[in-house]
Amino acid sequence: MAKTYKKPEMINQQVGWCPGCGHGIIQRLIAECCEELGLVEKTVQVVDIACAYWSIDTLNADGIAGPHGRCAAVATGIKKVYPDSNVYVHAGDGCSYVIGLSETCFAAERNVPITMIVVNNGVFGMTGGQMCAATTLVGDKTVSSKKGRDPEVAGKPYDMLNILSNYDIAYAARGALYDPKHIDQTKKMIKKGFQNQMEKKGFSIIEVLSPCPTNWKLSPSDAMEKIKNENEQFFPVKVYVDVDGGDK
Amino acid sequence: MAKAKAKTDSALCKGCRLCVGVCPKDAIEPLTEVNKKGYEIVRVNEELCIGCGQCYKICPDYVFSIVEE
Repeated sequence: MAKTYKKPEMINQQVGWCPGCGHGIIQRLIAECCEELGLVEKTVQVVDIACAYWSIDTLNADGIAGPHGRCAAVATGIKKVYPDSNVYVHAGDGCSYVIGLSETCFAAERNVPITMIVVNNGVFGMTGGQMCAATTLVGDKTVSSKKGRDPEVAGKPYDMLNILSNYDIAYAARGALYDPKHIDQTKKMIKKGFQNQMEKKGFSIIEVLSPCPTNWKLSPSDAMEKIKNENEQFFPVKVYVDVDGGDK
Repeated sequence: MAKAKAKTDSALCKGCRLCVGVCPKDAIEPLTEVNKKGYEIVRVNEELCIGCGQCYKICPDYVFSIVEE
């Protein structure tokens, strides 16, 4: 029998993400993982006040929007009250790594068994494409770095997964979305994150290199090429920490 | 053996053309025709389609489904 694919039933409508945005793909991966693991009824999504907010309209699951940057703290609270629920955070890089740096670090330090999915698109997307201290590459032009990011003025980007892997956490990995092979790999990472949570192993973080064609001012396919040729050089796609000692 | 083919729901398409780039058989044709939202849509050439699912995987807007004929 030939293999068939159909939109997950957990996704109930399409929302207003820009053409070529990676959020839609990540949303589908999350929905597929929840359905395959039988977690639809138990899932609580914590979204950010940014592009990820649309997710609350898309998915047929419980959801709450935390204050900008504080998603990890809100998710920690939900997990403490409902320890059997499947709590995941769907947030951007600006939320998790810049404004909410301390919340992310403290969730990792406490090793709270939540799954954090961070969309790394290199800019603050919803507010118009400002430079993100953690993830905008040196030389990239944004609304707030018109001549390209200058490391003498704005510093250099940093690899947060490298920092978080020093904590005692269950899983840290980075995926990408630029071709179907890497999308499949990212799906496995997200699934692993949910499994770790169900088995109460600890904090899992999955970062996904995602395109933002609107703010990068590129066509969707050129944005995918940029991820492959530039972003992946600085942010390698790999598993940083795996408590089960899986492939690295 | 039943063959699988890609079907499109053009109303959802946002015209990003990522599917056109990943199709291994060049079976997806970009059109100048627009849908209700004003985006240029695509069409699958069923003769060439092998139902591999690459378009389903890359599409951010759930346009494609791969079904058995």
